[in-house]
Amino acid sequence: MSQTAGTATLTPGAPARVTATSGRTAVWRRFRRHPGAIAGAAVLGLITLAVLLAPLSPYDPEASDLSVRFQPPSWQHPMGTDALGRDLMTRVLYGGRVSLTVGVLVVAISLVIGVPIGALAGFYGGRVDSILMRLTDIFLSLPAFLVLILLSAILREVDAPLFERNNVLTIGLVIGVLSWMTFARLVRAAFLTLRETDFVTAARCAGASNRRLIVTHILPNAIGPIIVEATLGLGYAIIEESGLSFLGFGIQPPTPSWGNLLSNAQEYLTKYPWLAIFPGMMIFLTIISANYIGDGLRDAFDPHKVLKKVGEV
Amino acid sequence: MMHSRTLSALSLVCLFALLLASLAGCGQATEAPQAEPTAASPEAEPSAGQPTAAPTVEETAPQSVVIVIPEDPPSFNAIVADTGYDAMVMELTMLGLTDIDPEGNIFPELAAELPTVENGGVALDEEAGTMEVTWKLRQDVQWQDGKAVTADDVVFTWNAISDPATGTWMQGIDYIGGVAKVDDYTFVISYTGIYPGYLTQFGAEQLAIWPAHYCDPAQGFTAWDCARTPLSDGPFSLKEWVVGDHMIFVRNPNYYRPDKPVIDQIIVRIVPDATVRKTMLLQGDADVDVWTTEPIVDDLKDKPDVQVSISPHPRWVLRLFFNLAAKGTVDPVASPHPILADVRVRQAIRMAIDVDTISQQIFYGYGTPVWTELFRPPYACDIARPEYDPDAAAALLESAGWIDQDGNGVRECHGCLNAEEGTPMEMELITYAEFGEPMTLSQQLIAEMLGKIGVKFQLTVVEGSVLWATAADGGIEQTGNFDVDLWDDGYSGTDPTDFLWELYSAAAAEPDYGWNISRWINDDWNALLDQAYTLDEAVRKDVFCQMAAILDDEVPSILLFSVINADAHSTRLEGIQSTTFDMVTWNAEEWSMK
Amino acid sequence: MSVYLIRRLLQTVALLFLLSIVLFALVNVAPGGPLAGHGQSRHVRPERAAILMRQFGLDKPLPVQYVIWLAGNDWMRVDADGDGIADSYGTRKGILRGDFGFSFRTRQPVLAEIGQRLANTIYLMAVTMLVALVIAIPIGIISALRQYSATDIALTTFSFAGQAIPEFWLGLVLLLIFYAWLKNPFTGEPLLPPGGMYTLGAEFALLDRIKHLILPVATGALGWIAWYSRFLRSSMLDVIHQDYLRTARAKGLSERRVVYRHALRNAVIPLVTVLALDLPYLIGGTVFVETIFAWPGMGRLYYQSALQRDYPMLLAILIIGAAAIIISNLLADVAYAYLDPRIRYN
Repeated sequence: MSQTAGTATLTPGAPARVTATSGRTAVWRRFRRHPGAIAGAAVLGLITLAVLLAPLSPYDPEASDLSVRFQPPSWQHPMGTDALGRDLMTRVLYGGRVSLTVGVLVVAISLVIGVPIGALAGFYGGRVDSILMRLTDIFLSLPAFLVLILLSAILREVDAPLFERNNVLTIGLVIGVLSWMTFARLVRAAFLTLRETDFVTAARCAGASNRRLIVTHILPNAIGPIIVEATLGLGYAIIEESGLSFLGFGIQPPTPSWGNLLSNAQEYLTKYPWLAIFPGMMIFLTIISANYIGDGLRDAFDPHKVLKKVGEV
Repeated sequence: MMHSRTLSALSLVCLFALLLASLAGCGQATEAPQAEPTAASPEAEPSAGQPTAAPTVEETAPQSVVIVIPEDPPSFNAIVADTGYDAMVMELTMLGLTDIDPEGNIFPELAAELPTVENGGVALDEEAGTMEVTWKLRQDVQWQDGKAVTADDVVFTWNAISDPATGTWMQGIDYIGGVAKVDDYTFVISYTGIYPGYLTQFGAEQLAIWPAHYCDPAQGFTAWDCARTPLSDGPFSLKEWVVGDHMIFVRNPNYYRPDKPVIDQIIVRIVPDATVRKTMLLQGDADVDVWTTEPIVDDLKDKPDVQVSISPHPRWVLRLFFNLAAKGTVDPVASPHPILADVRVRQAIRMAIDVDTISQQIFYGYGTPVWTELFRPPYACDIARPEYDPDAAAALLESAGWIDQDGNGVRECHGCLNAEEGTPMEMELITYAEFGEPMTLSQQLIAEMLGKIGVKFQLTVVEGSVLWATAADGGIEQTGNFDVDLWDDGYSGTDPTDFLWELYSAAAAEPDYGWNISRWINDDWNALLDQAYTLDEAVRKDVFCQMAAILDDEVPSILLFSVINADAHSTRLEGIQSTTFDMVTWNAEEWSMK
Repeated sequence: MSVYLIRRLLQTVALLFLLSIVLFALVNVAPGGPLAGHGQSRHVRPERAAILMRQFGLDKPLPVQYVIWLAGNDWMRVDADGDGIADSYGTRKGILRGDFGFSFRTRQPVLAEIGQRLANTIYLMAVTMLVALVIAIPIGIISALRQYSATDIALTTFSFAGQAIPEFWLGLVLLLIFYAWLKNPFTGEPLLPPGGMYTLGAEFALLDRIKHLILPVATGALGWIAWYSRFLRSSMLDVIHQDYLRTARAKGLSERRVVYRHALRNAVIPLVTVLALDLPYLIGGTVFVETIFAWPGMGRLYYQSALQRDYPMLLAILIIGAAAIIISNLLADVAYAYLDPRIRYN
């Protein structure tokens, strides 16, 4: 488990108390003191809950009702209705499922690819590091957004069993495959620093295998920046997906996603602005919450900058 | 820290250099990268016999019309890429032998008159089944540089198009045996068969005549520079073209009509976003918006400064095509589609679609219901409109062996024609993305309507470049990788023969040989099509209407309604008229500003 | 040093080569093709398709196409007229000799069209980055100096918000506000133009250029401002508590001197590093701004070409983008190696 360091607080008359400055409770405590992060967590939690409860809506996100097209927000339709008379709130919530799923998927894929690569490169160094870093460089040399457009055009049409056309899985895969490099670099930097520390040397002397060292000893200490980056990555993934969908390359209708809801709302911006305001607002709230949470986590994990992030002095 | 400081200094220097370079670079951006035609001399003396234009008494500021379009034309040679915007600028600057007016009447442009059998212009050899058309050109048309437009230019154009290496395909090219010059203003086209579309082959929206003395044949018809810096014989000439930004056209003083054009200058601006184009129109920053779509037309209907010109006859019709072969295959006999190979199913589907609702709700009522391919003049056929009767549709499906026995809202095969017992009636309805939201909304509505009678559709939207790619490139239509296909199409000009061949003939069912994506083969229909290659208009109309009747019975496709062909414009602009047979600039020389 | 340089150069060349293969494969593997009729005919006539295949060079197997793209075909005989006999030499020189081919859409040389658009994109991005930095640096400084104060919280919120707003949405909203809704109180005309780089027909006027830049730059810069101000803030915070600043204060230097002379200079360095590495990403990032504001740039060109599968154009843009990234990384590495001997011998 993670080691615990302590600081002693001395107040006259009181017994000396050692408070932990790292370790899970300490991290949580520092996180709690960050008002923005708490608010962000609350908002994101609310959004996730709402999105999960989408099936409870009395409206069908796909069934049209041509008699109530383009209704402004009202009690029956808190977010108004769209071009086919469908309740916008229901579609926004279902769209949230898609967008959040894509976001989580992207982060998951980035982690699954990036963390092992970074860990192995940082731990073994030398030849392994060189090869893995070359691989990372190749991916980093691609103009990301341009290749994203191309990849989504390719994979979207794949008709294999798991990947029906226009599936959430494909878009998540496509974005994820181009976003793991940050994690790889991060983890590598962390491993480079951590593998020289005393506790690792001690564990090695005690006979721990490489695998045990990596997974049980070093990785948990690198978790901090990984979690921070993952939270920020969620926001990034959602923006990428909505950007792709906006251009027509991401999730296609009739499946709603925040991005393609915004894209369809474009032509109605003056006449029926609520069609753009609400999906845009959801994207905004989700990302800003994720950013605040990430910021809070960063401060919580790193009060004294024990582990330096890439790019920092 | 020294190395970091040096690096930072380096980086800042690079950044500044970049900035300076780009600012310097953008100074050049104002210059058109395309040089003006070097031979252009607007001060050239008009040839004798042409009255000089009387200058207007008051010195008014040059009258300008601003047209906004979403993308650059790839060139001035419309037939190469056929985006429509190329035809638009071609109409401003170049002439063809003939053109078509909004009512479908063909009129001569470069030709002195239309050659017909009656006036001896067309010599038919019935026995051999060939014909010869003699064209006489106007003698008063000049290129921008003062040289006359002659038969040499026509022969030159033909040679360039028919060059096997650098040419391209044009309608009826297989029928042309050769183009021969008789004298400076007369030439003869000999045909190896009877080709009814001979009048508009070298004109209308398809083709213009190119200058023999200016274009470089070595560069090839499809790529020559004179298609980017054209030599004009039309009402306007190109003055400046900043790719991606704008084009400026000015009046051509050598134009053969003495008092035309009325407008001095036409500016074409590239504005990709439709909402911005609409706003520019409303603000008065633009005068013409090309190919205005229904939602925007509806938006503009109450505005006092903007009018919408709608063409009297539509071209683009939304249609559903059924795949009569099993999905992913192309042989309807070896592997018939389990659900759609039964004509009763297709008829039932047609009865269950409420075309009026879709047209009125999604297309703001600007679409006209269309139910046969032959609905445009001069071959409008009298086919009865199919009824909208969902109950009858359900009954028909029941009798065809598609019954929902397990009560889940989706029918299954119980005694149906081609499928195994118990096969659910589930299919994929595919459409393409580039049209925009109205298409995808229509797709969703259609799926809903059919869902109500127990036919379940999964919806897919793909890019046009995937839907219509070749079979080798994985094109969905060519490989038959669909069940039902929703898209819009319509033929240009007045002759539907080629269009019908492409979509319904037996030969066209072969992948990459044609576009009969339904794989529908009907021998009677094909025999009739052969008979349509005649110059006898009465026979043609009769044949076409018989073909229309067969299509109506067999339902390989369902036509829904036409989409609008409209161009929004400022009310100050007069003389402008939208047409399906051409782009809105077809009569730009007649435009005037109030 | 020169050994290191040569080694890095060779690696760069190898990387570019490898990338060219990957990108070529990607572009061609994408389903759909350039022969799908665009514009008015939905369908390409099969006779025309055959001619186009030949003219585009798509009738050859992929590896052969790659070689031709790379090295041209003017050294081999091709069948230009479709009669089955390869009796004429090709006309392409290949990218190794600077010939990026011709666009499928316009039949014009790809480089000429890209060149113009690239200049426009660089112009836009340079101004955007400049504006972003000019605004972000003071914000970062103030935020850091007044850490946790109300100002800091407000600025932090602003920067988080700025990173959370989708760029395309912002662009449309700004356009609507400043072009469609708000009017100049004196002239009644719209406040700002709807797009383009300059007013047609006018001479080069700085004010006109600026007016056309305001909305695109505002849309594009917001995200960067937010990001860089945060970055600078954290960088400043790192530096401000350092010992050598304490020394400077102890020596009696004014706080202002401490901040601007010493702290800021060192805080800006990582920012510049990040900036230098961010620059190449701007090539793809302008798609939204260019589409909404009708800016004739490379992002929009790429997007259009992708929709129409204009392979030569796509490949050219991708390769140039990748080359820009790789070369700027190489320059940064070489600069570091020049300054830090340890790296060379790694």
